[in-house]
Amino acid sequence: MFAQAETVATPEVLWWALVPLLVLAGAAVLLLTVASLVRRLPEWLPAAWTIVAGLAVLVSVVPLWNEVQDDGARSFLAGAVGIDGSTLFVTALLAVAVVATALLSRAYLTREDLPGVELYVLLLLSAAGGVVMASANDLIVLFLGLELLSIAVYVMAALHLRRIQSQEAALKYFVLGAFASAFLLYGIALVYGATGATGLARIAGYLSTTILLEDGMLMAGFGLLLVGLGFKVAAVPFHAWAPDVYQGAPTPVVAWMAAGVKAAGFAALLRVFVLTFGSWSGEWQPAVWGLAILTVLGGSVVAVVQTDVKRMLAYSSIAHAGFLLVGVQAASDRGTAAVLTYLGVYTLLACGSFAVVTVVGGAGDDRHGIDAYRGLGARRPWLAGAFAVLLLGQAGVPFTAGFVAKFGVIAAATEGHSYALAGIAMVSAAVAAFVYLRILVALYMEDRHLEDDDEAGAVEVDPAPWGPRIVITVSVALVLVLGVVPGPLVDLAKDAVPVLVGG
Amino acid sequence: MIAMAALQGFDSLMSGDTVVAQNIAFGILAVVMIVAALRMVTTGNVVHAALYLVIVLAGVAGIFILLGAEFVGVTQVLVYIGAIVVLFLFGIMLTRGALGEDEEADTEKRRMAVLVGVLVLVVTGGAVLDSFGDAAVNRAAPSLTAEIGDTIFSQYIVPFEAVSVLLLAALIGAIVVARKD
Repeated sequence: MFAQAETVATPEVLWWALVPLLVLAGAAVLLLTVASLVRRLPEWLPAAWTIVAGLAVLVSVVPLWNEVQDDGARSFLAGAVGIDGSTLFVTALLAVAVVATALLSRAYLTREDLPGVELYVLLLLSAAGGVVMASANDLIVLFLGLELLSIAVYVMAALHLRRIQSQEAALKYFVLGAFASAFLLYGIALVYGATGATGLARIAGYLSTTILLEDGMLMAGFGLLLVGLGFKVAAVPFHAWAPDVYQGAPTPVVAWMAAGVKAAGFAALLRVFVLTFGSWSGEWQPAVWGLAILTVLGGSVVAVVQTDVKRMLAYSSIAHAGFLLVGVQAASDRGTAAVLTYLGVYTLLACGSFAVVTVVGGAGDDRHGIDAYRGLGARRPWLAGAFAVLLLGQAGVPFTAGFVAKFGVIAAATEGHSYALAGIAMVSAAVAAFVYLRILVALYMEDRHLEDDDEAGAVEVDPAPWGPRIVITVSVALVLVLGVVPGPLVDLAKDAVPVLVGG
Repeated sequence: MIAMAALQGFDSLMSGDTVVAQNIAFGILAVVMIVAALRMVTTGNVVHAALYLVIVLAGVAGIFILLGAEFVGVTQVLVYIGAIVVLFLFGIMLTRGALGEDEEADTEKRRMAVLVGVLVLVVTGGAVLDSFGDAAVNRAAPSLTAEIGDTIFSQYIVPFEAVSVLLLAALIGAIVVARKD
């Protein structure tokens, strides 16, 4: 009966371009299968497996990068999936974040005595979703990637089974995230209605060659897409979930949310707005301008009054999203390169900072008040010193990579004649610096409290396990090195400006 | 909308230039759907209402099949009847103590429901008439499931696999969240 089966003409698939995605998804499925078959898995195996998968992705990106730089960007599968410099740049960032999160998770799960295979499986799947987003050349594929990324993160936020805050964080994130996904999907539907295509290249072609007499539907589509993606990157006023979720979720998961989810979200924003809707940038730039101002100001100002360091870092991550939006608003190659540079630096800063928070948080993951950091400089000089460098990096102090990142986006804004935006961004950077200084003061100048009430609140911080230790050391070293020699990262980001290729 | 569609169907049945058997089948389906839809909104028992909804949705699937859209028809059965109505029933059973008559649903909520229903009827009916109007269904080229399958497994293979991985993630997530240990 099979004799009469016809062969279907299969389109050409660039399998080599899918290697990072296949490695991540394959590693997740394999890990899950092995974990369900083998009764007593060695405790270190899932973490080691995830780290190897992350490093394999990093290694596989190198030849792909050379290929793309030599032969240009490609798209395949009828233009649904593409590969260009930005795809690979963001893939590499996601791989770094996966390795860092896995290193933190191993120490965290051991300390909290939690069962662990699922965390790594979901982390790998989430990263696969991020890679799908970064390589999407079609709005539907982009949406699928976003959902894969998000659903895994919702569950990861709930993984601390005994902390009610963890469950609460997951529920809030899930409900608001589902809401935002609906906005995004509606936006996709309206853009499809206005342009007749979901493929990014075809939409871009249509928009640059057609004059729409009625653009209401397209504008509504832009708006809804911006709301949906704005939620994912925690831009004010769609940020309400971020502080609660960051505070409640397990700290290694927060590192992934801050580094990985943000990188994937901005990869999507760049692809959809700067690249696809580029010929209509006059229409969406004012909206992003407003979002950027609200986000830099809101994140920095509200962070000042926080007393919980995790919440403070949550608001500061909102402020970072604002700086990234400043780069998106420029809608130029320079702005895009600045956003990618910023993402690279922020990945390091977020992983390092949340590694310190993981260590200080202690058993139970609840010592996140600023009190826990008082006098840390005297008791744990190396840890406090590392945190100080990371905080200075987040503040954008010169000779740290944070300065390079902030300089890039603000320079892009001034080049695009958005002087007001650049000015406000600089003012809020100064406000945010106050937040980081508050933590620094607690670290180094308030140690005398401890001798008085040793039993009341004095916190002994356990020595850092080797996992967080590696993450902290590497991120501090890179933040310092890239602060002095920013060239390599900036050049990579310049070469990584995305390109649309029609299918 | 359904009533208008039924009237149009009746017209073309009278004019005699179309396939009689399909029109008779459509008439029967339309009458059954209208009756079931009316019963659904008038019954006082939520479980009965959900079951009447099954009949309406099955009727839609039947109409799709009559129009030669077999894939959409089967998907309608799988997704709407198999998943959504079952979700309704689970929701009703998990949130309500008694499954009997429900008096609450009778009061002023009904007015809002009528308003929303009329609005949806006007908007969708207007949109359908505006964009399709007199357009005829192309009976010569029914959509073949085989073609859809070929496209999914060639052109759309990466999105399709992404959906499977997405479902895997959701499945793991459901187990992790529901597990007690």
